[in-house]
Amino acid sequence: MTAMPIPPAPAPLTAPPSGPPAIEMTDLRVDYGNCVAVDDVSLTVPPGEIFGLVGPNGAGKTSTFRVLATLMKPTYGEVRLAGIDILENPREARRIMGYMPDLAPVPSDLKVWEFLDLFAEAHGLGSAAERRQRIDEGLAEVGLTDKRTVLCKTLSRGQTQRLVLAKTLLHRPKVMILDEPASGMDPLSRRNLRLALRKLAAEGTTVFVSSHILGELAEMCSSLCVMNRGRLLASGPVDEVRRLMGRAERTLTVVVLDRAAEAAAWIARQPGTDAITTHGLRLTFRFSASQEEQAALITGLVQEGLRLSSFEEQKSTFEDILVEVAENNQTA
Amino acid sequence: MKSPAPWKLWANPIIRRYARARLRPHALGVALILTLMVAGFIFFSTRTVSMYRGGMAVVDAERIPLLPLMALQALILFFLGTGQVAGGITAEADEGVLEYQRLTPLSPLTKVLGYLFGLPIREYAMFACTLPFTAWSLWQGQVPWSAWGPVYLILISSAWLYHLTGLVAGTVVKNRRWAFLVSIAIVFALYTVIPQVAKFGLTTFKYFTIWPVFEENMSHFVPREAGGVFRTVQGMMPEVRFFGLGFSEVVFSLFSQAGLILTFVVMLWRRWRHSESHLLGKVWAVGLMAWTQIMLLGNALPLIAPGLVFPSRELQRRILNVRGWSPSISEAVAMIGLYGMVALLLMLVLTLIITPTVDDQVRGQRRAHKLGWLRPPWFSDEATSFWFVLALATIGAAAWTVFAQALIHSDWYAGQALPAHTPWTFGLVLLATGLSFHALLEGWGGKRVFLAVIFLGIAPLMVGAILGAASDNLLTASMWLIGLSPLAAPIFASQSLLPTMDLPLATARAIPPAFWFWQCVSAVATAALVHTLWRQKKNT
Repeated sequence: MTAMPIPPAPAPLTAPPSGPPAIEMTDLRVDYGNCVAVDDVSLTVPPGEIFGLVGPNGAGKTSTFRVLATLMKPTYGEVRLAGIDILENPREARRIMGYMPDLAPVPSDLKVWEFLDLFAEAHGLGSAAERRQRIDEGLAEVGLTDKRTVLCKTLSRGQTQRLVLAKTLLHRPKVMILDEPASGMDPLSRRNLRLALRKLAAEGTTVFVSSHILGELAEMCSSLCVMNRGRLLASGPVDEVRRLMGRAERTLTVVVLDRAAEAAAWIARQPGTDAITTHGLRLTFRFSASQEEQAALITGLVQEGLRLSSFEEQKSTFEDILVEVAENNQTA
Repeated sequence: MKSPAPWKLWANPIIRRYARARLRPHALGVALILTLMVAGFIFFSTRTVSMYRGGMAVVDAERIPLLPLMALQALILFFLGTGQVAGGITAEADEGVLEYQRLTPLSPLTKVLGYLFGLPIREYAMFACTLPFTAWSLWQGQVPWSAWGPVYLILISSAWLYHLTGLVAGTVVKNRRWAFLVSIAIVFALYTVIPQVAKFGLTTFKYFTIWPVFEENMSHFVPREAGGVFRTVQGMMPEVRFFGLGFSEVVFSLFSQAGLILTFVVMLWRRWRHSESHLLGKVWAVGLMAWTQIMLLGNALPLIAPGLVFPSRELQRRILNVRGWSPSISEAVAMIGLYGMVALLLMLVLTLIITPTVDDQVRGQRRAHKLGWLRPPWFSDEATSFWFVLALATIGAAAWTVFAQALIHSDWYAGQALPAHTPWTFGLVLLATGLSFHALLEGWGGKRVFLAVIFLGIAPLMVGAILGAASDNLLTASMWLIGLSPLAAPIFASQSLLPTMDLPLATARAIPPAFWFWQCVSAVATAALVHTLWRQKKNT
């Protein structure tokens, strides 16, 4: 794939955006008979964000995405993309939206460029020469230039995903809805996908994305929302979501040169510490207080005359959060 | 950025997509070579044999290949084309590619036209391959354009109609193979079963085929000597009568097909707009029922007085012996029963289309509740179809009564009369069947309906038929069993209102009490089902 300049991860917008929100869902509900897939979800995504949607299987992610993509009518609720009511004006919404489904299929009887040209024509992307240029750019962006004239059915799983990404980018959508876009991609393609999405966000495109590779998602996204059983559990900037999910605490590991028992006793007396375990000279405990209090804790250990040889902080991952949510589901 | 308008077929991305995929030299070449070989063989063999062995004049010999060539063209367009459309659209849905098309900002009409003309594009190319042979034969055979023009116009409009049938079948039936088979079966039935039904007064159905126009112009497609005979027969046939109006075959065929084409386009348009939509809206379904009844009556009623509506007259006419002919009362009973059965089946199909599933109703109720409404809007897909089924049954019963009365009160049956309660009887048959079918479907879902159709609709007919065939002693039991099936009710109603002496005595005696008994049972069961459905709705 062609090398790309690496833009920084977009910061969450603090100032209110000038235009309408890129995605605005109000009281969205999706039912399948008596099963509630999405339960009165309201969510606002500002323009230019990479917004992640996480949740265990059956959380309602795909139903939400399908409603956003105008592929499905919700039971009720209002959904706007860049101010366009998608239920009233699906055709207008489709002009500004790009959707990439999970394990996206491609027609087996078309060549790569023909597949892209079909959508370029459908979106009315100018003359044949203009379309050709846009197709070539798209193929270059996803590193499939050399596959231009092969039949789609000969592409590997990862290449197919990249081709569908190129198709999704073809008409330069304002809002991109990507359901598991990295599935089937090799590590290099994933990295390039991350870079491409950041580049798009930097240019003002809003990306609404779900992925099972949660570490990747947390790294890529400026904001996240967590869904479970059709409900929205938390939404906002990544650290804010961690806090809202009750995972503000982190695991701290201290290695002392001696007096481990004395150090453990001292730590246990400090506020915000919990679940201390000792393995020789290695002490591990949970800590849920501010960064200032963490600094005071380390200073206090030193002032007690304890000799620290190392200190390590480990924040809760989204994987931990989702595992806990899934386990709660099973218990329920 | 502007997507192409629906009427710009050459710029339609879906047509262009299929032009690329299905007209690749390799696959197209094989198809064209095969078509050229078959068409060429037909053309050269028939004209050579006629000219050199048969000693025909050039003009006559050149006309000989026309009919087999037309059969080949019909095979390509009607069967291969329809199968390709049905199978192709199902394959797209199967692979998940169809969803991409939903996401493009093309209008639903552009998408419908794209698939209609795009999917069978190779078949159009194959058809085009046969045209030079046809053109040569038409030119050398001195066939006037006023003869071949209407025939080819109807050939094309029929192909579009059948392709749309395939597209609807492919949209509804999820399995690729089944969609292909269903659409081919429909076209096959149009040319085998429907013409037989048309002979029993339901003349409209034959205008969905190319036969009427073809028969009208056939004399020009055969050698001049044979054409003379055809012209004589043709001269004895009337123009198409529609109530008090007269039309040529081609105009009326186009008019009939246009109504159905429009209905299919609406079905597909609705599905492209929202994949969960019913194929037809409630009002459109009622309108379609009314339109079909008007077409059936409009064609049948003017043919009663001259006797042309009767199948026995048609048989006599074919052997050019209509002197002393008069229709029997059994013929009228069969025609009235068949009319009722067609009305009943059409009503059931439309009920199936417009009745919301249990899931649809739950969604509709929740939406209504959220928006502070008492119930979903009347005409929405989620709303109950009860009142519309009532309307369908009423329209069907009214048309059925008009047909029966016009037939029996004609000069052919002087002295015969239908009882005054005929409209109520026909109404009872259609309302009881329609409303119970609707109540089961809306309240308990398709599986219960399927079981009811199998065990109450079809099984009694089959078992009754076997019993009746086994022994004359079992004829009474057989009739009582067959009477249980709502599908037999129209025939039984007809026979009960106009008893005939043509049936075996046991059968003729058993039918009226069996009919009335089962109608009473059906009415009570329907009332109970409707009551339960409404109570169920009230509780939810």
